[in-house]
Amino acid sequence: MIHALRAGAYGIPFMPVGGMWGSDLVALRPEFFQVMKSPFGDEEVVCVKALVPDYAILHVQEADVYGNARILGPSYQDALMARAAKKVILTTERIVGTYRMQEEPKLTAIPHFLVEAVVELPGGAKHGICYPEYLTVDWDAHKAYQKAVKADEVPQFAAKMLEGRL
Amino acid sequence: MKEKLMSLSQAVDLIKDGMLLAVGGNGMHRNPTLFSLALTQRPVKELKVCGAAPGIAADILFASGQADTAYFGFFGLENEAGLAPGMRKAMEGDEPKAKAIEGS
Repeated sequence: MIHALRAGAYGIPFMPVGGMWGSDLVALRPEFFQVMKSPFGDEEVVCVKALVPDYAILHVQEADVYGNARILGPSYQDALMARAAKKVILTTERIVGTYRMQEEPKLTAIPHFLVEAVVELPGGAKHGICYPEYLTVDWDAHKAYQKAVKADEVPQFAAKMLEGRL
Repeated sequence: MKEKLMSLSQAVDLIKDGMLLAVGGNGMHRNPTLFSLALTQRPVKELKVCGAAPGIAADILFASGQADTAYFGFFGLENEAGLAPGMRKAMEGDEPKAKAIEGS
């Protein structure tokens, strides 16, 4: 999966991936995995198709109005997704001045030129967790979500959670 | 540099039928959950979702029936939140509504 996004980010149609040998997925998903002969020798390699998302949708703690963004705590695959996707939509806990990026340029996880939209959205990861802003799942909301999934009432649940913010 | 601030409503309207979306975060952590909830208020459909560990924000799009394919390594909410209920509802059973394309 990560190699598929890497291929997308590098602008190449597929990427060889080690470690897939022995997995049934190679035979089960020919639209995603193919085996080819190395162009440099006789070995065979598993290849995974590139993924180029239309948008990466990322929630971050800090972004400026231009779309430069910082991620505090674990960044997971967000920086890679931003580079694989055609464009990025950011929702952010807060808008910060660009000086914040200039103070520590290396901490800018997402640069502005990848970004199409910045939405100031405090609490944008609720009812989940966003370190260091809110550190526990809102379990009452999660129970309500699970009920809504069972009852096919997720849009109604969403309307309640959004509280007129849309 | 160009200013790109917009409302949640304007940002959600960028998403069109059939798009492939990479959804950030992991499990219950730093997911764009409110963005997904906002998408459920729009008629957009046939979305594809990808991520190494999609979580609650991707699950919402399967629960609402708006996503029909997921490319993922692990799809779940982790810890006490457990499995992803919307994804399971869409992908399990004899005639699943959504397709899983797994890749570690």
